[in-house]
Amino acid sequence: MAFTSAIPAAERLPVTVLTGYLGAGKTTLLNRILTHEHGLKVAVIVNEFGEVGIDNQLVVDADEEIFEMNNGCICCTVRGDLIRIIGNLMKRRDRFDHLVIETTGLADPAPVIQTFFVDEDLRDELTLDAVVTVVDLKHVLLHWEAEEVQEQLAFADVLVLNKVDLVDEKEILSIEQRIRAINPLARLLRTTGADVPMDQILGVEAFELERALGLDPGFLLEEHAHEHDDAVGSLALVEERPMDLDRLGSWLSDLVAKRGPDLFRMKGIIQLKGEENRYVFQSVHMLLDGDFDRPWKPAERRCTQFVIIGRDLDPEGLRDGFSACVA
Amino acid sequence: MTATAPLVSERLCGQLQQAITAMSWSADGEFLAIASAGGELLLLDFRAGCEELLRGDRDSSLNAIGFSADGQFLMAVGQASELLLWELGETGVRPMALEPIPLDAGWLDAAAWQPRGLLLAVAAGRQVRLWDGAVRAWRPECLDMPGTVQALAWSCDGRRLAASCHGELALWQPEAATAATPLRAPTGSAGLVLSFSPIGDLLACGQMDRSLLLWPEAGQGRPWQFSGFPAKVRSLAWSDQPGRLAPALAVASGDTVVLWQQRNQSQQGWKPEPLLWHQQRVHALAFAPDSNLLASASADGTVGLWDSRGRLRQPLEGEGQGFQALAWRPDGRHLAAGGDQGRWWLWPVEVPSRERQRRSGGAGFG
Repeated sequence: MAFTSAIPAAERLPVTVLTGYLGAGKTTLLNRILTHEHGLKVAVIVNEFGEVGIDNQLVVDADEEIFEMNNGCICCTVRGDLIRIIGNLMKRRDRFDHLVIETTGLADPAPVIQTFFVDEDLRDELTLDAVVTVVDLKHVLLHWEAEEVQEQLAFADVLVLNKVDLVDEKEILSIEQRIRAINPLARLLRTTGADVPMDQILGVEAFELERALGLDPGFLLEEHAHEHDDAVGSLALVEERPMDLDRLGSWLSDLVAKRGPDLFRMKGIIQLKGEENRYVFQSVHMLLDGDFDRPWKPAERRCTQFVIIGRDLDPEGLRDGFSACVA
Repeated sequence: MTATAPLVSERLCGQLQQAITAMSWSADGEFLAIASAGGELLLLDFRAGCEELLRGDRDSSLNAIGFSADGQFLMAVGQASELLLWELGETGVRPMALEPIPLDAGWLDAAAWQPRGLLLAVAAGRQVRLWDGAVRAWRPECLDMPGTVQALAWSCDGRRLAASCHGELALWQPEAATAATPLRAPTGSAGLVLSFSPIGDLLACGQMDRSLLLWPEAGQGRPWQFSGFPAKVRSLAWSDQPGRLAPALAVASGDTVVLWQQRNQSQQGWKPEPLLWHQQRVHALAFAPDSNLLASASADGTVGLWDSRGRLRQPLEGEGQGFQALAWRPDGRHLAAGGDQGRWWLWPVEVPSRERQRRSGGAGFG
């Protein structure tokens, strides 16, 4: 299933999804977004009402409700409350120009993200800007094994590493390394009091295909799998030889059909045989999206870079499947 | 379009600050209430020839409004999670606002007065609550649903109340002599809109999974299911004119309107006729009372007037704004429509004689 909308992203309302474990500092960040002079009129949907109390701001409460659209298929699991509330809110479209959705500390971010691609109305009216996860550096290791924590790290485009003042540099580096093993693609921002530059979390366009891999290109230089005990991990694949789109397409369709629930996100820039343009690709669970991007630049290293973030990944099997897609 | 005389030749219009979300006429057709996404509530009093803004723009949407059947009360619910009520006096007398009733159930977008009665059903989260206008208080009993209530509808005799949430439809008789357990039917999806037919007591449910459920006996027994609509089924309207069997049912899905006629009692007996003309989502449908003339309001900035054979009789333009709401005056001769930038229109409509009530013909359904 592809998740492209027929409506250009520029005409759709950008949405930031804000996640983070209990006490990480989501509400602090939300209050900063609401009070900051960034020139944007922001509407906020919260799941834990009462903590955000700012006058003259559009703050709406939603009661988390999961809709299983198709016999429990995980990629068709969406947030029914968001469909209803955003439907009501969109009648007031001219009153705001950015939407922020705060999820509860224990929420799985996937249904929220999928809602924006699966629901026919939201797909045409909204564009997912970025998933921003706030991490409590002081306490994150205590909850590290919690499924919610690993999912929130895995789905993030931007990770706000909060409370740097409470942790020493050595510990921060060690946490960053463990986070990188789960999610090598997200942008890391170290902060205190969730005080981050607004342009780093609003208007990121991380889900726009041409920007999907623009966050940290240096990371993708070498192929590697991260060795950690965590159930959630990542695998980066690099291939110098051009790929075959048909083979790649059937490998990916087959992969998500079999392993979709465990594959949180995939992103890739693909070098196709006989093509002057880059092909860019991303996925959320079973939702796939790919399209041609700009031409390769003369000085650019032409190669395919592919990152898979998921649970219980099988590096050998994935590497073999990927290599078989060489043209 | 046929080259007959125009159905609409003059109009009245006005402007609110934000998008029109709901429009409702009193049963006697003397009052029209108009609500907006900014929380404005405008009351037009036709006998006195005046209008009154009962509530100004306060940046908090109103989403459902309505007059009680006897015209005593006007209600409104919306974003603020409150039930607002006004008591209406004689024409020309300023309505008296009752104290707002907090519900603490999130954004309220479904509420409906009982036909021929004084009960007001309000969808409040995962409950349907009943406010009784006779004693001006909540009834102690309420209908519990497994998910957030998405839509509500009363049967035309006011005895049955249907409510839908994701996966379930419940049918309740709140005034039954014995405390009857509500009937519950699985639906497999979220019912977004419910409507009982004025003749024959059929119940239609438009669903998020692009299907339509149709119960032949007021929500009991096995429903017919029609799937394959191009988008969510978000608007329904029954004609009040007898058809060969059931009255005609109009269904809006995406930019398409489908007119359904029942030819026989089987599932295949329902014949769909797509009315293809709108270019964007159709937000509202309504048959003119005592006729088969159908109005469809679309985000493309037009209202279409269709005859019983599915022919577009006249398009009406919205001066560049999309339409979101429609309401026929009970006399069937005036159509009110509301736009997504706050403009409202009132058009007198000459309903062609062949679309008007046919006293002869079928004896009706059931």
